Amino acid sequence: MLLAPLAHAITLDDLQQRFTEQPLVRAHFDQTRTIKEMPQPLRSQGEMLIARDTGLLWDQTSPFPMQLMLNDSRMVQIVNGQPPQTITADNNPQMFQFNHLLRALFQADRKVLEQNFRIDFQDKGNNSWTLKLTPITTPLDKIFTSIDLGGATYLNTIQLNDKQGDRTDITLTQQRLTPATLTDDERQRFAAQ
Amino acid sequence: MMNVNVSPPNSARRAAWGWLALCLILLTALALLLPRARLNSSVLAMLPSQSMGAIPPALSDGFMQRLDQQLVWLVSPGKTADPTVANRWQALLAQSGALREVKGQMDANSQQAWGTFFFQHRNALIDSATRSRLQQGGEAQAQWILSQLYSAFSGVSGKELNNDPLMLMRGSQLALAQNGQKLRLMDGWLVAQDRAGNYWYLLHGELNGSSFDMQQTHQRVTELAGLEAQLKSQYPQAKLLSRGTMFYSDYASQQAKQDVSTLGVATVLGVILLITLVFRSLRPLFLCLLSVSIGALAGTVATLLLFGELHLMTLVMSMSIIGISADYTLYYLTERMVHGEASTPWQSLVKVRRALLLALFTTVAAYLLMVLAPFPGIRQMAVFAAAGLSASCLTVIFWHPWLCRGLPVRPVPLMTLMLRWLAAWRRNKKLSVGLPLALALFTLAGLANLRVDDDISQLQALPQHLLAQEKQITGLTGQSVDQKWFVVYGDSAQQTLERLEAFVPQLEKAQKAGLFGQFRTLPLNSLQRQQQDLQLLKQASPAVVNALQTAGLKTVTPDLNPMPVSVEAWLKSPASEGWRLLWLTLPDGRSGVLVPVDGVKNSAALQQLAEHADGVAWNDRKASFDQLFALYRTILTALLGVALVIIAVGARLRLGWRKGLISLVPSLLSLGCGLAVLSLSGHAVNLFSLLALVLVLGIGINYTLFFSNPRGTPLTSLLAITLAMITTLLTLGMLVFSATQAISSFGIVLVSGIFTAFLLSPLAMPGKKERKQK
Repeated sequence: MLLAPLAHAITLDDLQQRFTEQPLVRAHFDQTRTIKEMPQPLRSQGEMLIARDTGLLWDQTSPFPMQLMLNDSRMVQIVNGQPPQTITADNNPQMFQFNHLLRALFQADRKVLEQNFRIDFQDKGNNSWTLKLTPITTPLDKIFTSIDLGGATYLNTIQLNDKQGDRTDITLTQQRLTPATLTDDERQRFAAQ
Repeated sequence: MMNVNVSPPNSARRAAWGWLALCLILLTALALLLPRARLNSSVLAMLPSQSMGAIPPALSDGFMQRLDQQLVWLVSPGKTADPTVANRWQALLAQSGALREVKGQMDANSQQAWGTFFFQHRNALIDSATRSRLQQGGEAQAQWILSQLYSAFSGVSGKELNNDPLMLMRGSQLALAQNGQKLRLMDGWLVAQDRAGNYWYLLHGELNGSSFDMQQTHQRVTELAGLEAQLKSQYPQAKLLSRGTMFYSDYASQQAKQDVSTLGVATVLGVILLITLVFRSLRPLFLCLLSVSIGALAGTVATLLLFGELHLMTLVMSMSIIGISADYTLYYLTERMVHGEASTPWQSLVKVRRALLLALFTTVAAYLLMVLAPFPGIRQMAVFAAAGLSASCLTVIFWHPWLCRGLPVRPVPLMTLMLRWLAAWRRNKKLSVGLPLALALFTLAGLANLRVDDDISQLQALPQHLLAQEKQITGLTGQSVDQKWFVVYGDSAQQTLERLEAFVPQLEKAQKAGLFGQFRTLPLNSLQRQQQDLQLLKQASPAVVNALQTAGLKTVTPDLNPMPVSVEAWLKSPASEGWRLLWLTLPDGRSGVLVPVDGVKNSAALQQLAEHADGVAWNDRKASFDQLFALYRTILTALLGVALVIIAVGARLRLGWRKGLISLVPSLLSLGCGLAVLSLSGHAVNLFSLLALVLVLGIGINYTLFFSNPRGTPLTSLLAITLAMITTLLTLGMLVFSATQAISSFGIVLVSGIFTAFLLSPLAMPGKKERKQK
């Protein structure tokens, strides 16, 4: 009874701490969107980068190129060579806040998550965990029934469950911590207007 | 004694009856005019009327009136989002009869109606981003649709794909969201969050009815304050911010009312005291009141006839100015008091009549100069004063000789003191040369520090608590009340929309060039553009269908039927929520739309932009007012110069070179000292100080003319002028204490200028020799 468990249970704070110690993570992603009434799921893949202090780069390479950059002040999306679409925190707080969640998900940012979701964190043993997020704020609660995250050392899976019964599964693989700094090209993308 | 004219001349009797008849006519006119007259207390009405440019006046009036009716509130429950407090406030406001259309929470129904309207008219409500993609031939739109489809966060559903495969509704709603709202939707409320993390819920409403007098406005403001207190007693932590023109105009009219009552009472008491002390009789008081009220009667009738209304400010300023008319009575009665035994009322009148009329003409001329000012309030004041002073003066001339019988004859009070003062002016070079020199030096010192400031905001003493709330609301909502906007107008609603569509590309160019920050434009297309868009849709649709089929969606059939939206239908729909204020259609179909602009860097360039477009006017009220202020200040300076030259020529003709020049000294120095005191007391020169200078010149001339009257005795003149000066200080001097900076600086210039004119007026005394020659 008095023996403390040798490996203590993992908590959300531990997780956030763990992610904080990963200042720069690159990974490959596979995404599957299952939309009711669509005969087949929509699959896409590409590379992503999450930088603790800077933001998120999401580069879809297939089936068509789409690039997304998200930092503290704006979100820029470029589809296949079309003029970039920019949303800034100033000109559209609502949409920006929404996109900002993306980053909070990848970083397990407890503060942002708690503002928007009811949180159910579970230690699955063996260093792995799941995090079930149930939205409590509008418009999130109008769009998602829940968002489920899972992982171990890294974040491995994200599942977005839409209100309408549609689903998005994102699987991250090949996570790596090197190179530990941004390349010039990446830095420029973060700085671009 | 050469008492030839013991009985009054017959002509005088006829004139007196004639004047009575005219006064009765005026009284009847007043009785007819007054019930229909409006007392205008809007500060905006004080301002130039042509400031809206070439826009049809009915349109600009309509916009202004509507703007004046708007009220906005932000309610904060604190740092946790909770609409209870805002709900309560909405309920409280709904109870009040003063408001209509209080809007806060959007219920589920209207949210749905909003969506339904967009869906049903999606082919007509195409946004510019979608349009530019469609213009590239369909591929671009297909790519965009795919990116939405693949995005995990876009929330595209199968239902949406089936209903609106071209994603037109998604496009127009994204564009709307882009159109710059700092507010987000929470539980159906528009909510902002400040830096400290407090949530603020937005409500807005319109005043019931269009134009109100002060009383009603004050009632409404009081009622709202009561409701606020009620809210805060229920939710002590709640905070409330309010914004609306009504609050400002109520503040201004309360201020003016206070000015009128305190200044008015002080003035009346002071004048009564002075007159009883000097004349030891109440008769002069009644005579003063008689000439003043006939003056007020004539002034009111003239103003109402010419303008159809009386501005509150006119009343405030004229009330003081009409006090000048007491001068005429005082001058005549002083003459009677001193020489009552030796001469008949008619002889006394002959002695002062020329000086009185000369004084009247100069003062009226000075006032008529002010009619040139572009401010309705000032014009009214000028007309009021010119008519009022003339009537007062004529009352003295026609009636007072009949009415002044029985006035006690008394020696001049403080005679020794006055005689010494006069003697000193004759003999003591230290005074007659030293004082003007000293004042000249003082003038130079003051002029060296003179600042010019044409900022219009001086016209209103804007209360800090209102300004602070306004600033906070602007910060939270991003909706400023700068009153900087373009007005696009046309003969019909459709022409207006077409002109707007032609103008927007130029606006975008100007925005890129950095001339301003943001603009908001109506999310509604003209019927013409709706048709063009439909063509684009038809051309682009195959490519989109193709792309969707490749993605696996086999049965896509976009609806390409026209779904026209008229302005009327749009205005009635929930889709125009938040935009309706920007649109106005007159009964005859002429329409206008506002395009608000913020972060303006270069107002002149935007003015040019508007001039080069059809049916577009740029409106930057503050900038154009400031310019007008400056322009009219310059014009008045020039007019003042002209007036001085005319006076100089007149003096030269009457008195010759040397005496003529000397008689100019009081005028020049009174103007100079007025300005010097203004600048040394830390104020800046503006249009209002110039208006005061015009008065100083006019009144100062009175003093000089009374003194140089060859038929008068210097002692009587001095007494009359002293009385006149003290009454003027008691009346106009009170303006110094006005809370409105413009009026108080007007008062400062006036008081110091007139006091200088009084000090120096003995300079105009005819020399002993000249008097003996007469």
